[in-house]
Formats: sequence, structure tokens, C-alpha cells
Amino acid sequence: MDRMLYIAMSGAKEVMLSQANNANNLANANTDGFKQDFNIFRAQHMQGPGWESRAYSMDERPATDYTAGAIKVTGRDLDVVTKSDGYMAIQTPAGDEGLVRTASMQVLENGNLVDVSGNPVLNEGGIPINIPPTKSITIGDDGTISIVPADSPSNQLVVLDRLRLVKPDIKDLQKGLDGFSRLKADAAPLVQEQVSVVSGALETSNVNTAEALVRMIELSRKYELQVKMMSTTKSHAQKSDQLLSLR
Amino acid sequence: MNRALYVAKTGLEAQQFRLAAISNNLANANTYAYKAGRAEFDDLMYQNIRQPGAQANQDETSTLPSGLQLGTGVKAIGVQKIHTQGNLMVTDNQLDVAIEGKGFFQVLDQGGNLTYTRDGSFQVNQNGDVVTSSGYLLEPNINIPQDATEVSITRDGGVFVTQPGNVEQNQVGQIQLASFINPAGLEALGHNFYAETTASGVANVNDPQTAEAGALTQGALEASNVNTVEELIGMIEAQRTYEMNSKAIAAADGMMQYLNNNV
Repeated sequence: MDRMLYIAMSGAKEVMLSQANNANNLANANTDGFKQDFNIFRAQHMQGPGWESRAYSMDERPATDYTAGAIKVTGRDLDVVTKSDGYMAIQTPAGDEGLVRTASMQVLENGNLVDVSGNPVLNEGGIPINIPPTKSITIGDDGTISIVPADSPSNQLVVLDRLRLVKPDIKDLQKGLDGFSRLKADAAPLVQEQVSVVSGALETSNVNTAEALVRMIELSRKYELQVKMMSTTKSHAQKSDQLLSLR
Repeated sequence: MNRALYVAKTGLEAQQFRLAAISNNLANANTYAYKAGRAEFDDLMYQNIRQPGAQANQDETSTLPSGLQLGTGVKAIGVQKIHTQGNLMVTDNQLDVAIEGKGFFQVLDQGGNLTYTRDGSFQVNQNGDVVTSSGYLLEPNINIPQDATEVSITRDGGVFVTQPGNVEQNQVGQIQLASFINPAGLEALGHNFYAETTASGVANVNDPQTAEAGALTQGALEASNVNTVEELIGMIEAQRTYEMNSKAIAAADGMMQYLNNNV
């Protein structure tokens, strides 16, 4: 059988994978802090003597789009978002440092400051932040956490801790299988930097829905193209069978 | 089977969940002391279809520069109660009390368990005890004498009554407020009541205007903190995202249909 059929089949399969990735971006169009994933196709040549006449296509996720999403004001003191190229650090369930641009934080019963999924928020020393009983919590422009202690008679603000704020090179960031962005293993460790923080706001998902919808249509049509190639191969085979058939 | 179908399905579910949370907020836009809930989402696990750096084939010089990790969709992780202060609405009713601050009134339900509420529309029952509009006793109990002509409640929780033939007001009780380190962790029981959970931490009971309890205002009620504009925007957003995800399902379906019809 002509290898064209296999080439078209692999093309269709890879387009379907890409459609799944695109659907994932769309499904997370409302997930705060979500970063959309890129998807590209690459020509993968068959290697070895005489094989290079065919090139399979291969779908890849080369990287994640780390452009900022829109900022939406929520008015809740513990909703924070970093500005410009800054990130703040949380502890992932795997125990290492994850980098996020936005977090809807809560104080647990033991005083631990965690994000909405319960992952501890880290301070500038890289350890989880603990908040004693307070009347109010304020997060300053530079990530400083100030509180009015519950037993304070004068409502005087006390500086408690500071968020771990870093400016990683986007090229060094990588989204893991658990969905958390973290620094690649070979990148230089990050140090505390001057990053602006806005409290009372969250960052929306950065999914470009118009682009994703257009891509969805494009992928559907590409898929039809591959299927068309398969049916063309079928009719080729039928024709040659007819021509060569013994009467 | 086509993965895109299942991924888009999670998107539909998430938006439906969000719309339910928004509807509940809008339905309670006029409920005293109601706290708005916000649906929160997380992306699901990613699947490693092709590991970056894996061998492309037997020839050892060729490795994949980048792999393929596919996301599997989105999930709703819960509705977070937003415990910001609602507006104070002046009612001029003597037994309406609003809390300005983090505290909660403590009330005893029918089973004698402590529950918590910020709805301070109190009334007096047949015995003269101060109760909520559902008849739950305020804790600690406060009894208003039958012949009281006026009740005044101070900022710091003192309850005083004026009685005929008595020039001075008598103190008949002291309102106490409970506060929680993580109010978002309280279990909402409905009817404006909340119950303590391990996530909320134990109730920290204090007199008003001490510690983190907050102060009281007599003759006012706390309105719901639902921002209706925000909810309507959220509703539009949820509806459109739902539509986009249903388009993704239609596209995935179209692909399979074409395959079935043409091969």
C-alpha cells in the first residue's frame, strides 16, 4: 500500500491532538491566572537511507504563552496580582517552588497563608507565610504584608513579612504536568526583586478566545484535508486494482 | 476517542457551575448579611504524550526538542465566600443591629448548637428573650423586661433598657461577637447561618470593639455584599465561554463525522 495513507493518517492524528490542546485553552478561558499553551506542527523526516522522501508532521507544545492576562478588580484584600514581568512564589503540592502572577489567598485556621487550592504562599526567604490573629491584613505595593494585630489597642499597622517576588526570564519558565509554572532545572536560582504588587485584583486567563476559535476552525478543516487524502488514496488503490485485475 | 470532546466537556461543566454560583448571588442580592460566593477554577492535570528530549528514532543524534503535553481541561474547585463588609442600611428599628468589622453574632439553634450569623434583625419572643427572625436565641441570652419602653444598644455591645419610673437606663445584657481567622472556611448552613469547621478555626469570642470583633450599630442592618454589576458581567462571561466550549465540541464532532463519512 502507498505510504501516503500512513502519512495522511498521522497528519489527521496530530491535528486531533492539537485540537485537544486548543480545547484545553478554551476550557480554561475563565480560569484566573491560566496561561495558554502554544501548539505547533513540525516536519519530522524519516531517517535512514531512502526514507527521506517522506516527512511526517508532528504536533508539539513548544512553550507556554506567558503574556499577562487582563486585571480584574475584585476589591478583596487578599486577591493579589503582580505587575509587569514579576512573579510571586507558592509551594506546589510536589514541595518545590511554583511561580504565579496572581493568587486569591486565604488564611487557614493555623494562620498559614495559602492560595485558593491550599498551596502555601512563600515569603522572601522561601518559607511559607504565617499570619497571627489580626483585625486586618494589607499587602503593599512591594509585597510587604502589614497587619493590625488582634490585640492591638491603637489599630497600629505592623510589618509582618514580605512576599517572595522574582523576575524570571520567560525562557527559563516551564509548565509542569500539574499545571504549575516553575523554573527549568538548569536555570540560575532567582533572587528577590523589586516587583509591583496590586491587591484587590486578580489576573484573568490570557487565552485569546478569538484566536482559539479561528484555530479551532482551521484545525477542523486541516483534519478534513487529511481525511480527503486518505479517501484519495483509497480510490487510487481501487483504480489500480481495477486496472490490474485479471479477467 | 477524540480528546477535545472530553476537554471541552469540562469547560461546559465549569461554566455551568459558575452560572449556578452567580445565580445564587443574584437571587440573594437583597438578603440581609448575605456574602457573595465566587466560583474558582483550576486547570486539570496535563498528560505527557511525548516527553521532550526523548529519542525520535534509533539514530542517537536525533532527539525531540520539545514534547507534547496536553491539558485535560478545567475543574471547579469551589465557591469561595467573599467576606467583605456589606453596606449598612438604616432601618431605625431598635432591635436591628449591624456589625462593622469581622465579627459574627452567636445564636443557639433548635438543637442547642452554636451557629453564627451577621444578620442582626433581632426580635423578642414571648418570654422577652432576644431571638433572630428564625426564632434562634442570641447567645449569651438577653432578656428584655416586659415594661421596657426603649432599648438601646451601644457600639461596644451593651444592651440598656428604659423602664417607667426609672430615670436611669438599666443594663440587661452584653452582646458578644465571634470572629474566625479564616471566615471563608465557615460552612454556610443557609438561612444566613454559618457553622464552625476545622477550616475556619475556632470561634474567638470577644466583646464588640475589642480584639478583631468589630463594632455594633443599632437601628441598621448589613445589606448583602453582592455587586450586581459584577455578577451580570460574570454571567455574560460565563455564557460566552460556554458557547465557545460548545463550539469546540461541535468542531470535534464534525471531525469525527467527516472521518466516518469519507473513509
